[in-house]
Amino acid sequence: MIAQLWQYVLAGVVVGAIYALIAAGFVLIYQVTGLINFAQGEFAMIGAMTSSALATGGMPVLEAAAIAVLVASVTGGLCYLLAIRPARAATGVTLIFITLGLDVALRGLGLFVWGTNPLSLPAFSGGAAITVLGGALPPQAMWVLLTDLLVFAALYLFFRHTYAGTAVRAAVANPPIASTFGIPLRTFAFWSFVAAAAIGGLGGVVVAPITSATYDMGLTLGLAGFVAAVLGGLDSLPGALVGGFVLGIVEKLAGGVLSTGWEQGVGFLILVLVLVLRPQGLLGRAARRA
Amino acid sequence: MYGRFGLVLLALVAVLVWFLPSYYTGLLTQIGLYALVTIGLNMFMGYAGQVSLGQAAFVGIGAYTSAALAVKGHVTPWLGLIAGALVAALVAYVLSFIALRLRENLLALATLALGIVINVVFNEWEFIGGSSGFKDIPGFALGAFTFDQRAYAILAWALVALGIWFAGNVVRSSFGRALIAISAGELGAQTLGVESERLKRQTFVLSAVYAGVAGAVYASSFSYIDPSSFSFLLSVNFVLMSVIGGIRSLWGAVIGAAVVVALGQVLQNVVPLVLPSARGDFQQFFLGVILIAMLILLPRGITSRLREARA
Repeated sequence: MIAQLWQYVLAGVVVGAIYALIAAGFVLIYQVTGLINFAQGEFAMIGAMTSSALATGGMPVLEAAAIAVLVASVTGGLCYLLAIRPARAATGVTLIFITLGLDVALRGLGLFVWGTNPLSLPAFSGGAAITVLGGALPPQAMWVLLTDLLVFAALYLFFRHTYAGTAVRAAVANPPIASTFGIPLRTFAFWSFVAAAAIGGLGGVVVAPITSATYDMGLTLGLAGFVAAVLGGLDSLPGALVGGFVLGIVEKLAGGVLSTGWEQGVGFLILVLVLVLRPQGLLGRAARRA
Repeated sequence: MYGRFGLVLLALVAVLVWFLPSYYTGLLTQIGLYALVTIGLNMFMGYAGQVSLGQAAFVGIGAYTSAALAVKGHVTPWLGLIAGALVAALVAYVLSFIALRLRENLLALATLALGIVINVVFNEWEFIGGSSGFKDIPGFALGAFTFDQRAYAILAWALVALGIWFAGNVVRSSFGRALIAISAGELGAQTLGVESERLKRQTFVLSAVYAGVAGAVYASSFSYIDPSSFSFLLSVNFVLMSVIGGIRSLWGAVIGAAVVVALGQVLQNVVPLVLPSARGDFQQFFLGVILIAMLILLPRGITSRLREARA
């Protein structure tokens, strides 16, 4: 029994790592623009589908992965330029609907380009399953966790130890005043979309060998990413990391103990509880804009 | 005015169904039911200034209540329709205590999440058929007459006429003006004595009643439902109808429903000619693009343009 539960926890850690990446994208965009980007999961779909399609066509996995992240980033930038920026005078609800439209459009585009059949991506490295305290993890899990480590370390270094990162934090803290100091808010908004899409795309690439890639995977991943981000507080990158792991583990435990259909349901029940009981999230400060 | 136009539309539908092929009669029913949901949604989103991304769940609750009563309890769909509306209202009432404390972004998230949780319940609850849903749901009947396609179209549009008449009275009453005040600024409305919590709750429940009624008729007219009929994508479609027609407009709801259904038909027929490899739900792409384009170019919907032209 305990061994079984432990196995669920390990599986939860792996999906949680993916959720954390998508949640990080939400947090980036939310911090810089005050916008919840409902299309975030689709960037992961684009990453997963592009890399799988290229690898199926015979390209080496790491090359395919790099191109996929690039494609996702370009998509993210285009989303901002074509849909968000022209409507920047709009109010909150309109912008929510616009990102909702982006989500639907990108999923439809994925269907156009890749069809309904699932694609698969070979694991980045072969080898036997890794055993952790009696539970088994696929070798790909190490790549997933390594990606999380690198991405969050890079974000930390960027925000804490670079000039540009400090400028972004200033822009987040007080947009009008940052603007009078010559900080280009709109450029930052653009790059937040590019970065969020790149991170989301990377999440899709590393998860593809585990779950395989389908055109409609973005919705589920995106929603889980939301829950993780809200759980962590929406304006906190460490919160996104913690929220991702908490959600992944709880989902897999619920899925294992109840039935897999409940995985998503339990995630949303947590979301609702958090929204009611602690809207600022586990690690977030009191909500500013929400 | 709303009541009279509603009756004109009903009369038009009642005539059209005798000339249209049954496929198009089915589409008319679909438009009517979607319009009904969107009228309710527009009161909540357009007038009260809130947002719901889970409206499909209330349609599902209405459909499942009526279907379960009819299939398991042999209850007539007429009572099932009332029961569906009541259960949807009850669920909305309970959920409002969670959801309506939130605003904008978080309200959107919460309603989306609740919609998906309800869909999971449909999927996992074996008593109501689990993932396979209900089939052979009994139809409506009046005496010895069992409803056919034509009768369903007329029923749907009779409900639209009734729904738009009622909604028209609501939005033009002091209640409706209070809703508009809430959407303009909740705090300001409160200082003027508007009980925004109660009003938002009542509007949310009312929108669920509209959705529940539409769901109950849908279940009987298609005689088959499963959880995928009430997915997140349907909720997005309602948002699209609302935005296309004009979010603060009751006629907009009818126009939006008609445009979205017609658009779906056109895309289904035209896209394969241009792109033979396309298959599945490829219309999604266009629906998304149209939603974005509408919001950028015509954020208050088609009806806003009509109103300007008339003024």
